Amino acid sequence: MLVRSIVLITVFLSYFTGTVAAQTVPRTASGKPDLQGIWQVQNRASYDLQSHTARYDVLPGMGVVLDDEIPYQPWAREQKNANFVNRKTTDPLSKCFLPGVPRIMYMEHPFQIFQAEEHVAITFEWTQVFRLIYTNGQQTMYPGFNSWMGNSRGHWEGDVLVVEVTEHNDQTWFDEAGNFHSDALHLTERYRMLDGDTIDYEVTIEDENVFTRPWTIRMALHRQTHMDRILEYQCQAELEEMNGDFERDDRTWYPAAIPDDNEPFDADASIDLPELAVADDIPRLPDGTPDISGYYMADAGGANYGLETYSGRFLLPDSRGVVVDPPDGLLPYQKWARAERIDREGPHRGYDDPTAHCFVGGVPRSHYVPAPFFFLQPPGHVVVLHERMSYRQIFLDGRAHLPDHIRLWQGDSIGRWEGDTLVVESTNFNGKSWLNEVGDVVSHAQTIVETFTPVTASQIIYRATVSDPITSTRPWTIEIPFNREDQEMLETACLEDNNDLGHLRDVRDEYRAAQKTTP
Amino acid sequence: MLRLITTLLVLLCSATGGNVLAHHSFAAEFDNTKPVELTGTVTSMKWSNPHAWIYIDVEDESGNVVNWALESLSANVLVRRGWRKTDLPAGIVVSVVGWQARNATPTASIRFVTLNDGRTLFAGTGTASPATE
Repeated sequence: MLVRSIVLITVFLSYFTGTVAAQTVPRTASGKPDLQGIWQVQNRASYDLQSHTARYDVLPGMGVVLDDEIPYQPWAREQKNANFVNRKTTDPLSKCFLPGVPRIMYMEHPFQIFQAEEHVAITFEWTQVFRLIYTNGQQTMYPGFNSWMGNSRGHWEGDVLVVEVTEHNDQTWFDEAGNFHSDALHLTERYRMLDGDTIDYEVTIEDENVFTRPWTIRMALHRQTHMDRILEYQCQAELEEMNGDFERDDRTWYPAAIPDDNEPFDADASIDLPELAVADDIPRLPDGTPDISGYYMADAGGANYGLETYSGRFLLPDSRGVVVDPPDGLLPYQKWARAERIDREGPHRGYDDPTAHCFVGGVPRSHYVPAPFFFLQPPGHVVVLHERMSYRQIFLDGRAHLPDHIRLWQGDSIGRWEGDTLVVESTNFNGKSWLNEVGDVVSHAQTIVETFTPVTASQIIYRATVSDPITSTRPWTIEIPFNREDQEMLETACLEDNNDLGHLRDVRDEYRAAQKTTP
Repeated sequence: MLRLITTLLVLLCSATGGNVLAHHSFAAEFDNTKPVELTGTVTSMKWSNPHAWIYIDVEDESGNVVNWALESLSANVLVRRGWRKTDLPAGIVVSVVGWQARNATPTASIRFVTLNDGRTLFAGTGTASPATE
């Protein structure tokens, strides 16, 4: 009895002092609780934050709202009730739109927390959404610039990570029951590790336009020990593949075979590229590894409009071409793949580019679309956050690749440092990606070896060697500089306002109709 | 208004626009043989990604008013280039140059927005520098 009382008193005191039992909580090198890992709730909050009984396709659950009451203003309660009635069609998530915070934190999808000294990143299974939380005191450069996932700034109060989330739009809901907010929403999240496998997650919700007072939700996040990496659930892509809006290509998608009439693939044809010199003054982590963390933009040379050199295109500056091997700068296509590449440039094929649907760009395209990305170097990983709401997780622990039949848009990336160069080998692609807007062709059979060499404090030279026996006769390599910039990441909520796809579909359908009537 | 002038100077001095459509093929959606020059009243502007949209009411020769949807840079690029939400309020008159959608709807990808005092903002499509035309 005495022992139990002491334990309870200790827990009680630690809760209010912001410290946690040191012996049970993993810690980072700097002594902070180490939140890194894969987490997920085990509750029914995503259906309804409040206690609720079951309905058809709604699982019952006890509430996560303290006092179980959401203090709506009268008009807002009516709105919430209307949302509930119409939820099947008006829930933003039913359209695969970004869930917003805090909803993304208690959906039935795991997420991974990556923790570096100045930033925390959370990468979600759900549609490759991520959050980047600045914990270095950096204030936003764009106050008032609202977004679906908000703007997250964190700091440590003792052992508790406190994150203020602001700059929300008014489009997201808290749950499937229609609980909602305005763009005046202000969240204060508290992440408190209770032990190595449990985080006490608490959010105070303030919105003077909708509620009469602040209110709080609280739940446990549980470490997912049965998985060692997050896979992909691309909501919109899965929906469009199911309903036929995004059509399968049997030549490139997994498990397409090498065509019988392909030329043999010469895997040894690559040339040696010049070695890259690394400046003496590049920043380094305490263990001596180059510190490449931060915001970058590719000097892409027009790669998103063609990897080979081009000139004289309408509205486009001439391209320098980024193919450095083969030395002639031309992609070593198989004959059928070159023909496909030429066909894809036709207006009737614009609809087929996955990025026109707002799907993730794939690799290496994610690095040269005209949008920035952010490197994070938490222990054991390099994480790349792409502003177009996708990410890459690169594992440095020497693990094996995923089983062959697990296929992903962004592939499975295993990396290592060789001297000052990060070398990344990626496999397990699904073959759905295009390499750019004009449709340079690649298939699921591609394996990619990328090198990231920080040649100066402000520039990385990126090389990617792609080996794809389905589309190419030999490996090919592109080279693109990444320049560090003094900027901050924003959000590209693409699907939510994608007015273009219908136009592209009209052009395709008109072409197809004409083909049918042409004898 | 001072901000607008600053924005104008920044944009005119910038020759690093590059192509900015980038999430879909320009040529697949818009017709470069259908250039449009429109003058109308801003009804709204949507600060969205992958493109921001400016909506203007344009009166044709018969007196019919058509609301045109004008595709611009992404909201992220606009804000990084210095545009702010207050720069194009509803009710002001603007002129734009761009290219109409292939499906012949009142939709255009625009390159420049000219205000009624003659100043011009780079809005998207192509490069910021006319010299590269």
